[in-house]
Amino acid sequence: MWRSFCALVRKDCRMLASGKFFWMAAGFLVLYTAYVNLGYIRFMQMEPYHVYLYDPAGTQTEKSPLVQAVSSLEAMDAALLADANGVGLDASAGDVRVLLYRGAEHVDRHRADYALSLLRPTASRAPEVLGTNTPEQKARKEITCELLFFELSAVGFLGIAAVLFKEKSMGVVRVHAVLPLRRSLFLLSKLAVFLVSDLIFAVLLTLLNVGLRQGAAALPAVLLQTAVLSLAMALTGLLCALLLKDFRQFTLAYLVIAIFAATPVFLSANTSIKFDWIGWHPFYHVYMGLKNAFFGEAIPPVYCMGSAAAIALLFLAVQLAFRREIGREG
Amino acid sequence: MIEVKNLTFSYSGGRQALRGLSFTVEDGEIFGFLGPNGSGKSTTQKILTGILKGHGGAVSLFGQDLSAVHGLAFFQKIGVLFEFPYLYANLSALDNLNYFASFYPKGQRRDAGELLDMLEFKPDFLKKPVSSYSKGMRQRVSMARALISSPRLLFLDEPTSGLDPSGAVLFRKIIEQERKKGTTVFITTHNMVDADLLCDRVAFISNGALAALDTPKRLKEKNSNHRVVIDYLYRGQRETKTIEAPELDMPFAHDGILSVHSQEPTLEDMFIQYTGRGLS
Repeated sequence: MWRSFCALVRKDCRMLASGKFFWMAAGFLVLYTAYVNLGYIRFMQMEPYHVYLYDPAGTQTEKSPLVQAVSSLEAMDAALLADANGVGLDASAGDVRVLLYRGAEHVDRHRADYALSLLRPTASRAPEVLGTNTPEQKARKEITCELLFFELSAVGFLGIAAVLFKEKSMGVVRVHAVLPLRRSLFLLSKLAVFLVSDLIFAVLLTLLNVGLRQGAAALPAVLLQTAVLSLAMALTGLLCALLLKDFRQFTLAYLVIAIFAATPVFLSANTSIKFDWIGWHPFYHVYMGLKNAFFGEAIPPVYCMGSAAAIALLFLAVQLAFRREIGREG
Repeated sequence: MIEVKNLTFSYSGGRQALRGLSFTVEDGEIFGFLGPNGSGKSTTQKILTGILKGHGGAVSLFGQDLSAVHGLAFFQKIGVLFEFPYLYANLSALDNLNYFASFYPKGQRRDAGELLDMLEFKPDFLKKPVSSYSKGMRQRVSMARALISSPRLLFLDEPTSGLDPSGAVLFRKIIEQERKKGTTVFITTHNMVDADLLCDRVAFISNGALAALDTPKRLKEKNSNHRVVIDYLYRGQRETKTIEAPELDMPFAHDGILSVHSQEPTLEDMFIQYTGRGLS
């Protein structure tokens, strides 16, 4: 059995290599890493709002060096016109008046509070540091989690389906039905190859983008979540490839999955938009499981049991579909 | 080797594909299973090779009931050539054969290179991907795949399909050689030449039922009208006469015989007579 499994794994690796899958995965790794380190993090580290102060009487003596003084109200208007995100402070009439161009309400409040806080920098209490989860580290973990989820749910899912569609079109699936081989091994070898490939991808993506120390600390939990998502998506991909007639139908099914399954999950997990029914969405729990893994949250045993049961059910469904496929008319 | 009694099968949609087939295939026999498209040939082969489950009636292979023999050991004993050459298009002939051979015990495997040589496969293409092969070359690789495990029971579906005449002759020679080694061969085809030249016995199947089963020779003899057609010259004119076989002492004046044609029916004539349908 082990010899047969190894032969199947070698063949699947060759199929993936001939389809340039490994090159594609390596390309995505480079692209994601470049995006995180050269784009996303720099964007997150952008300068805070500029604050302009008109204070002809010099009443604001404790102001932060971040505050830029202007000589007149006309000069302030000109500065705010040129820098619409900036905040103006007019201290010429005693009480400080905040001037800004309107944006979103809650952001405007934040801009105003921030500008006023710069007039009393010593008054603001230094926060107690609980850990090293800096804004940059948090941003790195969040974006790495999102990219890993995308890679596993989209690229891996498409990759395994493409391999099986290729084998279906060549007719070789039927040949395996008359070989001295346990049929489940034909499926298990594919799952194993994609699982190992996804785990390697997860390790590299995490270490390159979260950092060696923080990344290594999160890796055990991240790899567990990666394995859950990789197996679930690979099995879903296999099931679609076995049930659907051709790759065109599969692409349509994929669009449905991407739009109606993944979008609400991303919205609920990353924005303030919340859907009442999102708790019933399996992807939401998998995504939150991955996110929690990056942030060191404990994984509830119920989630582990649910994931194992879902994977086992999917595997049974794939086996049934596989039997149906090999018995189909030529 | 194969014993089938009252075999029935219906697909999930309710379509009845087989309606009580009964036949036996002896050890070392070449048995032809002939029928038009959709007659139930492939369904029968799929049941015998363990691909389709849920049949009715009794089927035994290698002296055991079908449900008992479908383990790994069963698949080690059979070789299957499908109607189409199913191969990995991105791998070469040798890689394909070595891959499929790897599932059989070492002592049972034949050398892939020798097999391809026997099948007169062009050596230049040995390491080129199958996607660059002609249909005939793919069929040769598929035949090599079916033979690579030295099977005791060989299922061949349209074995000479896609081959040129010399390739077809070669395949028939190889099938004969396999039989001489003791291999039982179950051929599914609608090629009457293959059936006539190769098969010890043939079964005609139509609409899921057996219409006739006998040796090709007996099937033709039974239905012969025992007549010959003779073309001859008489006084410079070409003449044709049809006479009963017992009267072959040329009971007519002639200057020379040009040709003699027996009116024995072909196997295809027999098929149409028994089933009321053509083979294509």
